[in-house]
Amino acid sequence: MEEFFQQLTNGLAVGGIYALIALGYTMVYGVLKLINFAHGDLFTIGSYLGLTLLTSLSLADRLGPAAGVLVLAVMVMGLVAVVGALLERVAYRPLRQSPRLSAVVSALGASIFFSNALMLIYGARFQVYPQGILPKVAVNIFGLDVPLVRILILAASVLMMLALYFFIQKTRIGTAIRAAAIDQDAARLMGIDVDRVILFVFLIGPALGGVAGLMVGLHYGQINFTMGWIYGLKAFTAAILGGIGNIPGAMVGGILLGVVEALGAAYLSMAWKDAIAFGVLIFILIVRPTGLLGERVAEKV
Amino acid sequence: MKRVFIALTALCLLAGAPALWAADSIKIGLMGPMTGPWASEGQEMKQVLDLLAKDLNDKGGLLGKTVEVVSEDDGGDPRTAALAAQRLATQGIVGVIGTYGSSVTEATQNIYDESKILQIANGSTAIRLTEKGLKYFFRTCPRDDEQGRVAVQTIQKLGFKKVAILHDNTTYAKGLADEAKGLLEGKGVEIVFYDALTPGEQDYTTILTKMKGANPDVVFFTGYYPEAGLLLRQKKEMNWPVPFIGGDATNNPDLVKIAGKDAAEGFYFLSAPLPKDLPTAEAKAFLGQFEKKYGHQPASIYAVLAGDGFRVLTEAIQATQSTDPDVLADYLHNKMKDFPGLTGTLSFNDKGDRVGEVYRVYKVDADGNFILQP
Repeated sequence: MEEFFQQLTNGLAVGGIYALIALGYTMVYGVLKLINFAHGDLFTIGSYLGLTLLTSLSLADRLGPAAGVLVLAVMVMGLVAVVGALLERVAYRPLRQSPRLSAVVSALGASIFFSNALMLIYGARFQVYPQGILPKVAVNIFGLDVPLVRILILAASVLMMLALYFFIQKTRIGTAIRAAAIDQDAARLMGIDVDRVILFVFLIGPALGGVAGLMVGLHYGQINFTMGWIYGLKAFTAAILGGIGNIPGAMVGGILLGVVEALGAAYLSMAWKDAIAFGVLIFILIVRPTGLLGERVAEKV
Repeated sequence: MKRVFIALTALCLLAGAPALWAADSIKIGLMGPMTGPWASEGQEMKQVLDLLAKDLNDKGGLLGKTVEVVSEDDGGDPRTAALAAQRLATQGIVGVIGTYGSSVTEATQNIYDESKILQIANGSTAIRLTEKGLKYFFRTCPRDDEQGRVAVQTIQKLGFKKVAILHDNTTYAKGLADEAKGLLEGKGVEIVFYDALTPGEQDYTTILTKMKGANPDVVFFTGYYPEAGLLLRQKKEMNWPVPFIGGDATNNPDLVKIAGKDAAEGFYFLSAPLPKDLPTAEAKAFLGQFEKKYGHQPASIYAVLAGDGFRVLTEAIQATQSTDPDVLADYLHNKMKDFPGLTGTLSFNDKGDRVGEVYRVYKVDADGNFILQP
């Protein structure tokens, strides 16, 4: 039983990261009906930028671990948001009126561009975060030692998801995003600047992806320029699982995927871990083609 | 005039296009992972070959011609490699050096074989690569059955009774895991865990938790260094003190960087001797040249083994005064005996495998250095 709970916490930690990346997919899809394949690479950029800022500014030494990491997170979010906005301006806006397939191809191209640019800038070898930034403390929950970092990752993910949810539901710009998601032309007629809305989406989504990249770097230590692909794929799956275009759906989908993977690997077969996870996806899509929370099609994002 | 021109053209066609290309240089291909997860291996392979080719050309080249290294990136991926092999096969190369991963090499073997191009792999240790009877395939690295034997010897010598075996489903890692499992089963050692992880991920706590439940004395991981580094690091975070033994693909200094020194300490791995531990005079001279040109010693033995591939191929061309693949293959299989390579003496058997014992056992010390075990 102890092993079960241990595996559950393993799954929750990975699921939190999947969920955070899935939010970026889901937001962009909700507004543009575009799968932003470059999102996984924005995540990678976040972890590389985090490493550069961390080592060059030595934030953790100057501000202490907690404040240092917080400042670092804000900086990474800001920078990756800028990259995301540039991506939208260069790769997606010119194709706004083109068939949807052109934008998808453009997204794939951007993905290849980003990962190769990272390789050329940082080199092909694995990059490693300095150790000892985050305290290696384990918290005892019901007789189970859970590393504090894992709890923090999950908590940070959930907090950011809640903040995003309220931002979308309660603020003016959030309302505009929802309106643009339902019908761009109608939103335009109501006086909403749709281009500005889309720009906003491309600031928020990449910022969340970037901070997820930073978390991965801080926790796992090792980052490489191809890692965005596998995380992107999993997060994309999570977004579909929860109902793409739906923010609580991305949250539920990500955490569910992480837990299914961990428990499937623990109790069925390790080698078949991905097959189990994708099998669950297929099963859920057969039963509920819109995903778990995807029923309110009109209220995407 | 026109008639002369036509006659000349016809003559050229008769002589055959390859003869025309070969007029100025002898081309040797290099297929390695210049990008992708093993990029540090591939880039060093290229450095080694560039250095050796330049050295050879400074000494007058080969058969009166210069040697040119044509490199292609296999990305560490079988699909990319198949395309790279097709591109190389059309460029008039005599032979190709590479590549590192066994599943990557396997995807290209038939392409080279059909084009009658000699292939000398440098890091592909999977057994079945040389069991196919391919006439033009050789390798300078040893095979996994030898590695399996050394692994089992080491496990027995260290007195472990319950062993967990973990691989990553690649041709190489699974082959080595199966080999070790088969050898251990007959020797009173219990295999308490046998499974695979998915390479390229970052969170291996699930599999570590599961392995911990099986309570092994030692874990034998047959995969590659990025995953090994993460496993060591996450094992340390779990406070699980079980010793790890790795296969030769864990032999890379990046392992210690990824794991951190405190987590990597005490890790055993099997490997051909590291560049710094190579005993021969050829090796010492070469390492000196390499350091002079690139500012550091080669980190990976596989890059040096690629260099040995280049050296035996050029030696064969020199000795036979030919670039005919059948003549060269015959020379390498039957006539070349104890050629003084960088990594020791080189001879090949009928299958194209290197003859002789190569593997050593290494242990990581507290400073992250790889120490050769007696």
